[in-house]
Amino acid sequence: MPLPLPAVTAWVLCIGFPAPPGPPLHTEIDRLIAAGYPGYDRKAAPIAADDEFLRRVSLDLAGTVPTAAEARAFIADRDPAKRERLIDRLLAGYGYGRRMADHFDVVFMERRPDAKVPRAAWEAYLRESFAGNKSYAVLAREILGADGVDPGARARAKFFLDRKLEPGTVVKDISRVFLGRNIQCAQCHDHPNVEAFKQSEYYGLLAFLNRTFLFPSAEAAGAVIAEKADGEVTFVSVFDPAKKQKGTPPRVRGLDPVADPPAVKGKEYKVAPGPNVRPVPAYSRRARLAEAVTSPKNPAFARTAANRLWALMTGRGLVHPLDMDHPDNPPSHPELLALLADRFAAANYNVKWLLREIALSKTYQRSSEGPADAPEDRYLAAAVKPLSPEQFAYAMLQATGFADAERRALGAAASDAALAAKLAPHVGPFRARFGSRGGEPEDGFTATLDQTLFVKHGGAVRGLCTPRPGNTADRVAKLTDPAAAADELFLSVLTRYPTAGERADVAEFLKASGPPPAAAAEAVWALVAAAEFRFNH
Amino acid sequence: MAIDPVNARPERDFKSARPLTACRFDPTGRFLFAAAEDCSVQRFDLLTGDVAAFTGHRSWVRGIAFIPAPGGGPAGVASFERGRGALAALAGGPARAAPPPPVRPFLVVSTDYHGRLLWWRGDLPDCGPVRAVDAHDGWARAVAVNAAGTVIATCGNDRLVKLWAAADGAPLRTLDGHDCHVYNVAFHLAGTRLASADLKGVVKDWDLGTGRCERDLDAKALHKYDTGFSADIGGARSMAFDARGARLACAGITNVSNAFAGVGNPLVVVLDWKDGKPRQLKPKDAFQGTAWGVAFHPAGFVLAAGGGNGGQAWFWKGDETVGSHTVGLPASARDLALSPSGERFAVAGANGVASVYSLLPGNPRPTGPKK
Amino acid sequence: MNPASYACGSPAHAVSRRAFLGSALGAAGVLGAGGFASAAANARLAGAGKRVLVVFLHGGASQLETWDPKPGTDTGGPFRAIPTSVPGTYVGELLPETAKRMHRLALVRGVNTADDDHARGATIMLTGRRPEAGIEYPHLGAVAARLLGSESAELPGHIAIHAGGSGFGKQDAAFLGPRYGSVALGNGKPPPELLRPAGLTEDADRRREDLRKKLNARFARSRRTAATEAYAESYDQAERVFRRAGVFDVGQEGPKAAERYGRHDFGRHLLLARRLLEAGVTYVKVSHTNYDTHHENFDFHIEQLGEFDRPFAALLDDLADRGMLESTLVVVMSEFGRTPRINHLYGRDHWSKAWSVALGGCGIAPGAVVGKTNATGTGVTDREVNAGHLFHTYLRAVGLNPKKNFYPNDRPVAVADPAADAIGEILV
Repeated sequence: MPLPLPAVTAWVLCIGFPAPPGPPLHTEIDRLIAAGYPGYDRKAAPIAADDEFLRRVSLDLAGTVPTAAEARAFIADRDPAKRERLIDRLLAGYGYGRRMADHFDVVFMERRPDAKVPRAAWEAYLRESFAGNKSYAVLAREILGADGVDPGARARAKFFLDRKLEPGTVVKDISRVFLGRNIQCAQCHDHPNVEAFKQSEYYGLLAFLNRTFLFPSAEAAGAVIAEKADGEVTFVSVFDPAKKQKGTPPRVRGLDPVADPPAVKGKEYKVAPGPNVRPVPAYSRRARLAEAVTSPKNPAFARTAANRLWALMTGRGLVHPLDMDHPDNPPSHPELLALLADRFAAANYNVKWLLREIALSKTYQRSSEGPADAPEDRYLAAAVKPLSPEQFAYAMLQATGFADAERRALGAAASDAALAAKLAPHVGPFRARFGSRGGEPEDGFTATLDQTLFVKHGGAVRGLCTPRPGNTADRVAKLTDPAAAADELFLSVLTRYPTAGERADVAEFLKASGPPPAAAAEAVWALVAAAEFRFNH
Repeated sequence: MAIDPVNARPERDFKSARPLTACRFDPTGRFLFAAAEDCSVQRFDLLTGDVAAFTGHRSWVRGIAFIPAPGGGPAGVASFERGRGALAALAGGPARAAPPPPVRPFLVVSTDYHGRLLWWRGDLPDCGPVRAVDAHDGWARAVAVNAAGTVIATCGNDRLVKLWAAADGAPLRTLDGHDCHVYNVAFHLAGTRLASADLKGVVKDWDLGTGRCERDLDAKALHKYDTGFSADIGGARSMAFDARGARLACAGITNVSNAFAGVGNPLVVVLDWKDGKPRQLKPKDAFQGTAWGVAFHPAGFVLAAGGGNGGQAWFWKGDETVGSHTVGLPASARDLALSPSGERFAVAGANGVASVYSLLPGNPRPTGPKK
Repeated sequence: MNPASYACGSPAHAVSRRAFLGSALGAAGVLGAGGFASAAANARLAGAGKRVLVVFLHGGASQLETWDPKPGTDTGGPFRAIPTSVPGTYVGELLPETAKRMHRLALVRGVNTADDDHARGATIMLTGRRPEAGIEYPHLGAVAARLLGSESAELPGHIAIHAGGSGFGKQDAAFLGPRYGSVALGNGKPPPELLRPAGLTEDADRRREDLRKKLNARFARSRRTAATEAYAESYDQAERVFRRAGVFDVGQEGPKAAERYGRHDFGRHLLLARRLLEAGVTYVKVSHTNYDTHHENFDFHIEQLGEFDRPFAALLDDLADRGMLESTLVVVMSEFGRTPRINHLYGRDHWSKAWSVALGGCGIAPGAVVGKTNATGTGVTDREVNAGHLFHTYLRAVGLNPKKNFYPNDRPVAVADPAADAIGEILV
């Protein structure tokens, strides 16, 4: 574990720029949240206890639970700044990059099957981007501007390539992911229910890409993105009896259209099309897409990004659902969302900075035990969030001590990357079992028979619970004092000390269950199978 | 007579409206009988070119055999072919002035996929069948007649081989032992033994005196259970003893990787009748399909024909296991018949054409299209 | 201790508007999303205790060798047509046992699904819809499980028995949610995780379950949401399925049944299907492989239909004897039929333009025949229908209204293709 750093130094090292003047964002968050509900201070849940906070922020920022030793140390630590230092430690740790990569992989790619960009390269690209705290705008521009030609940068083009550049899908997903608007229906007509989703918006985005195609073909595994020098977008509404044709230049909603410069005859191409030749037009509409979407004049970009990062931490977007940002679905706290967006943009879309501010807020740090009738969107208490398939996997690998055993086995060679390589192969079955259908946004919680059987009877989980030198069942089995065994068990799996009643239950269980190693394994199972483990609370 | 496979060349085609399923020469060699998918049995006159249709079957025919005239030995056999006039006619020479010789009475038997065994007067096509027997439950796949002309053997999907009196159709014996569809039967030269071959490549050697199966021979290379489609493919599509009864040839398909698309290769398995050892005869070049007909030529070679996409005829001289000669056929061949003299053979085409090929050295006309 | 932040019936209960369909129903039975609840409620009254069995002849069974023979024609092939227990109705000679039970079946002979591709044809037949960009429709099994199934069912409502691997086919429930996806029994065996793992005794299992439940009880006192409830409840559901795991053991049916159904895979699978339907499973699909006979169509149909005929007849008899035929819809389908034209390999190729489907049981008029093809089977001459009409018909037969909507993402999606209608001629 790295040595604790002075808070300001950590802040600067993590974040990369000095704190702006005025009240810090996390204070503003609390002010605006409190203002959003009468009697908020009376009714809101108290701040979460240390163990609650530790587990929650570890899952949110590192995608896994802490070790038992880390839990003991954190709970015992008397330093009043320990939460802030924990946040900084997590932001600087290997787990952060991986967690953010996992999360944004699903945001960007919706678990589509890998086709033209291998998983490993894409995951590495995302992980390095987040670990290095790349500006979110830069990340978006890289993804939206990628053409897949440079093999060293091909992974960035996955957003387009693994959708086979299918125009309807690409436009819908650009709008959903980066602009917070699911305008799928607007392909055929103005949205019947949502006034604001117009056909012109859809086709305005499409016009950036209408000249684009996959070269040499959509089927080729190594296909790259190519572009012609001509082609216009026209559209007709299926509801329009006159079937009037309309046209549009490339345009992001709310911004000026991006007009083509006048074409110089004979000089339309830098590289002219030909058999087996990838054409490069003199003027590229596609190249204008990234800057238009991320333009400071396009408030939707910062707003959507801020909303998504807020939802990542708190479990619910200020605009909810995340892709329904339109006037008839206002944010729960409009002033707060505007503030987050403005500050995020002003901070050059610094992801770690924003997450840190959210994590420092009382709103984020509240207990999840709240009043019975609390409306979901008022943040009177922290939300109970189901773990993502990846969080569930990594948490299970840590809670059962598989990660500990592997770390121990690696010995001197136990770097973050080496350990990560040992853990990664075990995540696949969790993804397959708990992940949503490919092409569907990950939303909502399911508890289907196959998922439950995976935990209840499945070999993967059972194998993790089985004692092995250094893992949780092994450590618990070796503790002859039942209270100590219960403590080690609960701290390892649920990141807290057991209550007196729970200590008694565990003692009774271990006694009744026969030889220690098997008994400990089943005790570990009972805790990882508990609802308390399955959720982030 | 210098009969050589390399001489093989098309001699004459007889067109039929529907794809053909079987073909046989009559014992004189004058007629080629061919069955078609319209359930008719066509009789092509090699001398005159006339076609006569025998109608009476209501399902497909794959078995055709002949009952030699009583007391008739080899006398009438091939008599037609040996006639020089016939050769001239075949070669397309000047029209004969004399009328064609009369057809001596003879009997034909044929089996169909409704399980029926029909007798015909081969010289009287307009008569209809002279006798009909419900021989098998389900398809009757093949028919054979012993050398003496007294016993008919049939086999079919009811897993049975049955023996019938040629003279009156009386059932003589049922040979029960196969556990799956029986594809073919052939009498051994002496007439005391009968060979039958089933879907799974088991060849049974029956003692006709006792009705007992004396041994099982192995032609299992002709069978495959295709696990991809959960179905069996196999069977001897054609079966023949050589003139001395020393070898038994079974033709079919092997190496099947996709039974439902017919991806496999034609194969002839030659069993040594004495010790039962199988030898595999394969075409020279890779060909995807099934061998549907096989014969031993008295000149000492084995010939077979078959098809898949397209058709071929293959020849193995002496002890060859890889065919030294291949003749391309215009369509998939679903049967092969060797004329009694051995001077020609015929194939039943999936294109409805019965093609006669000569094996005689003759005009240096180009041989048929080779693959 | 703080009270739970979640109350039954509160808006917070509708946790997810997308994927949580069904999972919460086990917990508290209220789901807020519009037409779902009312469609479900109505359906449950009408569909009480109804079941569906689909026998899927995989690869495209030949209608000319089964339900619509044309003997004596250029396209008819070598088989006979045989009379059946319905005067005037003939089927192919390879179905002698089924022929004796035709009075329990209806035939639709004018099916035209206009797609000769295996995968698309199967999707079209199982969803009743032509493929559309941007939406996937749920299979009949998911629809049946959703609209006919009971919330308190112990066994999964959508089961598929086939020769492949065991598992969970979440995709085929589409927007209805993974709860209604098929549970696939590979070669009749349940997914391995259904059974208690070796090395875990019943006592050990009970003990660890007790500990887990104690933890959940404490957790639920202060942090209870629809999701946490559903999760906890799902273990009870799994336990209930596990306790019924014996239902997957077709060996328990005894040697006589094994004899009647045939000691081969399809026979065992059909017997297992009957067992599952008896145990209350809403929908079972049994696949029989394979019928894609481009080569030697006639030989292979002898083999495959030989396997199909006896167990299918035994199944009809058993359903009738047990009084289950009135409440069980039986459908025999393929992804398409086979060409009237016999190719040079004695084969028949894919053919979706004029083929047949057989139905029987619940809501189906016994012995009814609707639709005609011409003399050689190359076209439909009377009452042409497509997969949409068939889908409407299945739903009507079991007492459901196919004109209602589902509401995925709050958008109305008709349960069956609005461009089609039920085939009234074969409905009771």
